[in-house]
Amino acid sequence: MSVKVKISSLLRGSTNGQEIVEVTGNTPLECLHSLESKFPKMKKWLYDKKGELRPQVWFFVNGERIFRDDLNKPLNDGDELFVLLAISGG
Amino acid sequence: MMLTKEELVRYERQIIVPEWGKAGQEKLKKSKILVAGAGGLGSALLTYLAIAGVGKIRVIDGDKVELGNLNRQMLHADKDIGREKVDSAKERLESLNPDIQIEAVGEIITEENIFDLVEDYPIVDAMDNLPARYLLNRVTVRRNLPLFHGAVYGFEGRATTIIPGDTPCLKCLYQGVLPGKTPVVGVTPGIIGCIQATEVIKYIIGIGELLTNRLLIYDGLGMRFNEVKVKRDPNCEECKAK
Repeated sequence: MSVKVKISSLLRGSTNGQEIVEVTGNTPLECLHSLESKFPKMKKWLYDKKGELRPQVWFFVNGERIFRDDLNKPLNDGDELFVLLAISGG
Repeated sequence: MMLTKEELVRYERQIIVPEWGKAGQEKLKKSKILVAGAGGLGSALLTYLAIAGVGKIRVIDGDKVELGNLNRQMLHADKDIGREKVDSAKERLESLNPDIQIEAVGEIITEENIFDLVEDYPIVDAMDNLPARYLLNRVTVRRNLPLFHGAVYGFEGRATTIIPGDTPCLKCLYQGVLPGKTPVVGVTPGIIGCIQATEVIKYIIGIGELLTNRLLIYDGLGMRFNEVKVKRDPNCEECKAK
Protein backbone atom coordinates (compact mmCIF):
# COMPACT_ATOMS: atom_id res chain seq x y z
CA MET A 1 0.00 0.00 0.00
CA SER A 2 0.96 3.63 -0.40
CA VAL A 3 2.59 5.26 2.60
CA LYS A 4 4.07 8.73 3.02
CA VAL A 5 7.44 8.75 4.73
CA LYS A 6 8.49 11.96 6.41
CA ILE A 7 12.23 12.31 6.57
CA SER A 8 14.19 13.94 9.39
CA SER A 9 16.21 16.93 8.21
CA LEU A 10 19.34 15.00 9.17
CA LEU A 11 18.53 12.39 6.52
CA ARG A 12 17.49 14.73 3.74
CA GLY A 13 20.99 14.92 2.36
CA SER A 14 20.38 11.30 1.32
CA THR A 15 17.01 12.02 -0.31
CA ASN A 16 18.06 14.91 -2.51
CA GLY A 17 16.38 17.25 -0.06
CA GLN A 18 12.99 15.58 -0.20
CA GLU A 19 11.11 15.84 3.06
CA ILE A 20 8.19 13.58 2.13
CA VAL A 21 8.66 10.47 0.04
CA GLU A 22 5.86 8.22 -1.10
CA VAL A 23 6.71 4.49 -0.86
CA THR A 24 4.89 1.20 -0.98
CA GLY A 25 4.93 -1.26 1.90
CA ASN A 26 2.63 -3.15 4.22
CA THR A 27 4.67 -2.61 7.37
CA PRO A 28 7.06 0.06 8.62
CA LEU A 29 9.97 -2.24 7.89
CA GLU A 30 8.85 -2.82 4.31
CA CYS A 31 8.46 0.92 3.86
CA LEU A 32 11.96 1.46 5.18
CA HIS A 33 13.35 -1.05 2.69
CA SER A 34 11.42 0.64 -0.09
CA LEU A 35 12.88 3.96 0.99
CA GLU A 36 16.41 2.58 1.05
CA SER A 37 16.05 1.16 -2.42
CA LYS A 38 15.11 4.63 -3.67
CA PHE A 39 17.86 6.35 -1.71
CA PRO A 40 20.71 3.93 -1.03
CA LYS A 41 22.88 6.68 0.53
CA MET A 42 20.53 6.59 3.52
CA LYS A 43 21.70 3.15 4.56
CA LYS A 44 24.86 4.38 6.26
CA TRP A 45 22.74 6.41 8.67
CA LEU A 46 20.33 3.58 9.34
CA TYR A 47 22.52 0.51 9.66
CA ASP A 48 25.72 -0.31 11.51
CA LYS A 49 28.67 -2.21 10.03
CA LYS A 50 27.02 -5.52 10.85
CA GLY A 51 23.94 -4.50 8.90
CA GLU A 52 21.80 -4.12 12.03
CA LEU A 53 19.32 -1.28 12.26
CA ARG A 54 20.89 1.33 14.51
CA PRO A 55 19.17 1.87 17.89
CA GLN A 56 19.17 5.62 17.26
CA VAL A 57 16.70 5.29 14.39
CA TRP A 58 13.24 6.20 15.63
CA PHE A 59 9.95 5.47 13.93
CA PHE A 60 6.62 7.18 14.30
CA VAL A 61 3.38 6.10 12.64
CA ASN A 62 0.82 8.86 12.26
CA GLY A 63 2.74 10.92 14.78
CA GLU A 64 3.06 8.23 17.44
CA ARG A 65 6.23 6.42 18.43
CA ILE A 66 6.48 2.75 17.62
CA PHE A 67 9.06 0.34 19.00
CA ARG A 68 11.13 -2.29 17.24
CA ASP A 69 8.53 -4.98 17.99
CA ASP A 70 6.02 -2.96 15.96
CA LEU A 71 8.09 -2.68 12.80
CA ASN A 72 6.38 -5.70 11.27
CA LYS A 73 2.86 -4.66 12.21
CA PRO A 74 0.56 -3.84 9.31
CA LEU A 75 0.01 -0.28 8.20
CA ASN A 76 -3.11 1.19 6.65
CA ASP A 77 -3.34 2.90 3.32
CA GLY A 78 -2.51 6.59 3.74
CA ASP A 79 -0.54 6.11 6.95
CA GLU A 80 2.40 8.41 7.56
CA LEU A 81 5.72 7.07 8.73
CA PHE A 82 8.27 9.47 10.23
CA VAL A 83 11.89 8.39 10.39
CA LEU A 84 13.94 10.34 12.91
CA LEU A 85 17.45 9.99 14.27
CA ALA A 86 18.20 10.28 17.98
CA ILE A 87 20.63 13.09 18.75
CA SER A 88 22.48 14.11 21.85
CA GLY A 89 24.30 17.36 21.30
CA GLY A 90 24.02 20.13 23.85
CA MET B 1 8.06 35.11 50.11
CA MET B 2 7.08 38.70 49.33
CA LEU B 3 8.52 40.52 46.37
CA THR B 4 10.60 43.63 47.04
CA LYS B 5 9.88 46.98 45.39
CA GLU B 6 12.84 46.44 43.06
CA GLU B 7 11.60 42.97 42.09
CA LEU B 8 8.17 44.35 41.30
CA VAL B 9 9.86 46.72 38.87
CA ARG B 10 12.36 44.22 37.48
CA TYR B 11 9.70 41.62 36.74
CA GLU B 12 6.80 43.94 35.98
CA ARG B 13 6.43 42.95 32.34
CA GLN B 14 6.05 39.26 33.17
CA ILE B 15 4.00 39.83 36.30
CA ILE B 16 1.34 41.49 34.15
CA VAL B 17 0.99 38.30 32.10
CA PRO B 18 -2.41 37.07 33.35
CA GLU B 19 -1.27 33.51 34.01
CA TRP B 20 1.82 34.71 35.83
CA GLY B 21 1.00 37.49 38.32
CA LYS B 22 2.72 38.25 41.60
CA ALA B 23 1.84 34.76 42.78
CA GLY B 24 3.77 33.23 39.88
CA GLN B 25 6.75 35.47 40.51
CA GLU B 26 6.78 34.52 44.17
CA LYS B 27 6.78 30.86 43.18
CA LEU B 28 9.81 31.46 40.97
CA LYS B 29 11.57 33.30 43.75
CA LYS B 30 11.06 30.37 46.13
CA SER B 31 12.03 27.75 43.57
CA LYS B 32 15.24 25.93 42.91
CA ILE B 33 16.45 24.19 39.77
CA LEU B 34 19.49 22.20 38.78
CA VAL B 35 20.96 22.74 35.33
CA ALA B 36 23.34 20.03 34.19
CA GLY B 37 25.52 21.64 31.53
CA ALA B 38 26.67 25.22 30.99
CA GLY B 39 27.31 24.81 27.27
CA GLY B 40 25.13 25.49 24.26
CA LEU B 41 21.76 24.56 25.72
CA GLY B 42 22.81 25.71 29.16
CA SER B 43 23.81 29.17 28.00
CA ALA B 44 20.39 30.05 26.69
CA LEU B 45 18.28 28.39 29.33
CA LEU B 46 20.37 29.59 32.27
CA THR B 47 20.16 33.14 30.97
CA TYR B 48 16.38 33.06 30.75
CA LEU B 49 15.86 31.27 34.04
CA ALA B 50 18.10 33.80 35.77
CA ILE B 51 16.43 36.86 34.36
CA ALA B 52 12.98 35.40 34.99
CA GLY B 53 13.87 35.28 38.67
CA VAL B 54 14.26 31.59 39.54
CA GLY B 55 15.49 31.94 43.11
CA LYS B 56 18.20 29.31 43.22
CA ILE B 57 20.02 27.71 40.34
CA ARG B 58 22.61 24.98 40.78
CA VAL B 59 24.82 24.74 37.69
CA ILE B 60 26.91 21.63 37.12
CA ASP B 61 29.63 21.38 34.51
CA GLY B 62 33.09 19.84 34.70
CA ASP B 63 34.53 21.52 31.59
CA LYS B 64 36.65 24.57 30.97
CA VAL B 65 35.86 27.21 28.37
CA GLU B 66 37.55 26.63 25.00
CA LEU B 67 37.68 28.79 21.88
CA GLY B 68 35.70 26.19 19.96
CA ASN B 69 32.78 26.64 22.38
CA LEU B 70 32.20 30.26 21.55
CA ASN B 71 30.09 29.87 18.41
CA ARG B 72 27.21 28.74 20.62
CA GLN B 73 27.97 28.96 24.35
CA MET B 74 27.06 32.57 24.79
CA LEU B 75 27.44 32.63 28.56
CA HIS B 76 31.18 32.59 27.95
CA ALA B 77 33.52 34.94 26.08
CA ASP B 78 37.11 35.10 24.89
CA LYS B 79 38.22 36.41 28.28
CA ASP B 80 36.91 33.21 29.89
CA ILE B 81 38.99 30.77 27.85
CA GLY B 82 40.65 28.39 30.27
CA ARG B 83 38.22 29.12 33.12
CA GLU B 84 35.82 26.64 34.61
CA LYS B 85 32.53 27.04 32.74
CA VAL B 86 30.56 27.14 35.97
CA ASP B 87 32.61 30.08 37.24
CA SER B 88 32.19 31.99 34.01
CA ALA B 89 28.48 31.17 34.03
CA LYS B 90 28.01 32.25 37.64
CA GLU B 91 29.72 35.57 37.00
CA ARG B 92 27.60 36.29 33.93
CA LEU B 93 24.31 35.18 35.49
CA GLU B 94 24.90 37.19 38.66
CA SER B 95 25.59 40.26 36.55
CA LEU B 96 22.25 39.70 34.81
CA ASN B 97 20.34 39.25 38.05
CA PRO B 98 22.07 39.90 41.37
CA ASP B 99 18.89 39.01 43.28
CA ILE B 100 19.08 35.27 42.68
CA GLN B 101 21.44 32.63 44.00
CA ILE B 102 23.75 30.78 41.60
CA GLU B 103 25.60 27.78 42.91
CA ALA B 104 28.51 26.73 40.68
CA VAL B 105 29.52 23.07 40.84
CA GLY B 106 32.58 22.33 38.74
CA GLU B 107 32.27 18.56 38.61
CA ILE B 108 31.86 15.92 35.95
CA ILE B 109 28.72 13.88 36.52
CA THR B 110 29.48 10.27 37.44
CA GLU B 111 27.59 7.30 38.84
CA GLU B 112 29.26 7.96 42.19
CA ASN B 113 28.31 11.61 42.59
CA ILE B 114 25.05 12.09 40.70
CA PHE B 115 22.62 11.42 43.54
CA ASP B 116 24.48 13.79 45.87
CA LEU B 117 24.74 16.47 43.19
CA VAL B 118 21.05 16.39 42.35
CA GLU B 119 19.53 15.92 45.83
CA ASP B 120 15.87 16.82 45.27
CA TYR B 121 16.24 19.50 42.62
CA PRO B 122 14.16 19.42 39.45
CA ILE B 123 16.64 18.77 36.67
CA VAL B 124 17.32 20.46 33.37
CA ASP B 125 19.22 18.22 30.99
CA ALA B 126 21.61 20.46 29.07
CA MET B 127 24.23 17.77 28.62
CA ASP B 128 26.02 16.83 25.42
CA ASN B 129 26.34 13.08 25.78
CA LEU B 130 24.01 10.17 26.36
CA PRO B 131 25.82 8.44 29.27
CA ALA B 132 25.54 11.58 31.41
CA ARG B 133 21.92 12.01 30.36
CA TYR B 134 21.21 8.46 31.42
CA LEU B 135 22.62 9.22 34.87
CA LEU B 136 20.37 12.25 35.21
CA ASN B 137 17.50 10.06 34.10
CA ARG B 138 18.28 7.48 36.75
CA VAL B 139 17.96 10.08 39.52
CA THR B 140 14.82 11.41 37.90
CA VAL B 141 13.17 8.00 37.94
CA ARG B 142 14.39 6.89 41.37
CA ARG B 143 13.52 10.17 43.11
CA ASN B 144 10.42 11.18 41.09
CA LEU B 145 11.92 14.43 39.87
CA PRO B 146 10.98 16.22 36.67
CA LEU B 147 13.53 16.26 33.87
CA PHE B 148 13.49 18.94 31.20
CA HIS B 149 15.28 17.40 28.24
CA GLY B 150 16.76 19.03 25.17
CA ALA B 151 19.17 17.88 22.45
CA VAL B 152 20.63 19.36 19.28
CA TYR B 153 22.46 18.40 16.10
CA GLY B 154 23.26 20.95 13.44
CA PHE B 155 20.07 22.79 12.62
CA GLU B 156 17.85 20.23 14.33
CA GLY B 157 16.73 20.18 17.94
CA ARG B 158 14.38 18.28 20.22
CA ALA B 159 12.72 18.88 23.55
CA THR B 160 10.46 16.98 25.88
CA THR B 161 9.50 17.12 29.55
CA ILE B 162 9.74 13.97 31.62
CA ILE B 163 7.59 13.40 34.68
CA PRO B 164 8.33 9.96 36.17
CA GLY B 165 5.29 7.72 36.22
CA ASP B 166 3.39 9.89 33.72
CA THR B 167 5.72 10.00 30.75
CA PRO B 168 8.43 7.90 29.16
CA CYS B 169 11.76 8.32 30.86
CA LEU B 170 14.84 9.16 28.85
CA LYS B 171 15.78 5.50 28.56
CA CYS B 172 12.34 4.71 27.15
CA LEU B 173 13.18 7.19 24.40
CA TYR B 174 16.88 6.74 23.74
CA GLN B 175 18.69 3.51 23.08
CA GLY B 176 21.60 5.16 21.27
CA VAL B 177 22.53 8.37 19.47
CA LEU B 178 24.39 9.45 16.37
CA PRO B 179 28.09 8.79 16.94
CA GLY B 180 30.97 11.16 16.29
CA LYS B 181 31.54 14.87 16.82
CA THR B 182 28.23 16.72 16.95
CA PRO B 183 27.87 19.66 14.61
CA VAL B 184 26.11 22.54 16.36
CA VAL B 185 24.88 25.80 14.90
CA GLY B 186 24.68 28.39 17.70
CA VAL B 187 21.06 29.31 17.18
CA THR B 188 19.86 25.74 17.58
CA PRO B 189 20.74 25.30 21.28
CA GLY B 190 19.55 28.88 21.68
CA ILE B 191 16.09 27.91 20.52
CA ILE B 192 15.92 24.57 22.31
CA GLY B 193 17.38 26.06 25.49
CA CYS B 194 14.65 28.70 25.44
CA ILE B 195 12.04 25.99 25.03
CA GLN B 196 13.47 24.13 28.02
CA ALA B 197 13.46 27.35 30.08
CA THR B 198 9.84 27.94 29.09
CA GLU B 199 8.95 24.47 30.32
CA VAL B 200 10.73 25.03 33.63
CA ILE B 201 8.95 28.33 34.21
CA LYS B 202 5.56 26.83 33.37
CA TYR B 203 6.24 23.89 35.67
CA ILE B 204 7.24 26.09 38.58
CA ILE B 205 4.34 28.48 38.24
CA GLY B 206 1.89 25.71 37.31
CA ILE B 207 0.56 27.13 34.06
CA GLY B 208 0.15 26.13 30.46
CA GLU B 209 0.58 22.69 29.02
CA LEU B 210 3.90 20.92 29.43
CA LEU B 211 5.66 18.99 26.70
CA THR B 212 4.79 15.72 28.41
CA ASN B 213 4.36 12.62 26.28
CA ARG B 214 5.28 14.82 23.34
CA LEU B 215 8.54 15.38 21.54
CA LEU B 216 8.94 18.76 19.91
CA ILE B 217 11.19 18.64 16.86
CA TYR B 218 12.75 21.81 15.52
CA ASP B 219 13.98 21.82 11.93
CA GLY B 220 15.90 25.03 11.40
CA LEU B 221 16.68 24.37 7.76
CA GLY B 222 13.04 23.96 6.82
CA MET B 223 12.02 26.36 9.62
CA ARG B 224 9.36 24.05 10.90
CA PHE B 225 8.31 22.58 14.21
CA ASN B 226 6.93 19.07 14.29
CA GLU B 227 5.44 17.32 17.24
CA VAL B 228 5.15 13.60 17.84
CA LYS B 229 3.69 11.56 20.66
CA VAL B 230 6.03 9.49 22.75
CA LYS B 231 5.16 6.79 25.20
CA ARG B 232 6.69 4.57 27.82
CA ASP B 233 8.63 1.57 26.65
CA PRO B 234 7.23 -1.51 28.44
CA ASN B 235 10.71 -3.06 28.23
CA CYS B 236 12.57 -0.06 29.67
CA GLU B 237 15.20 -1.28 32.14
CA GLU B 238 15.26 1.97 34.07
CA CYS B 239 11.52 2.10 34.64
CA LYS B 240 11.49 -1.57 35.64
CA ALA B 241 14.37 -1.12 38.07
CA LYS B 242 12.56 1.51 40.11
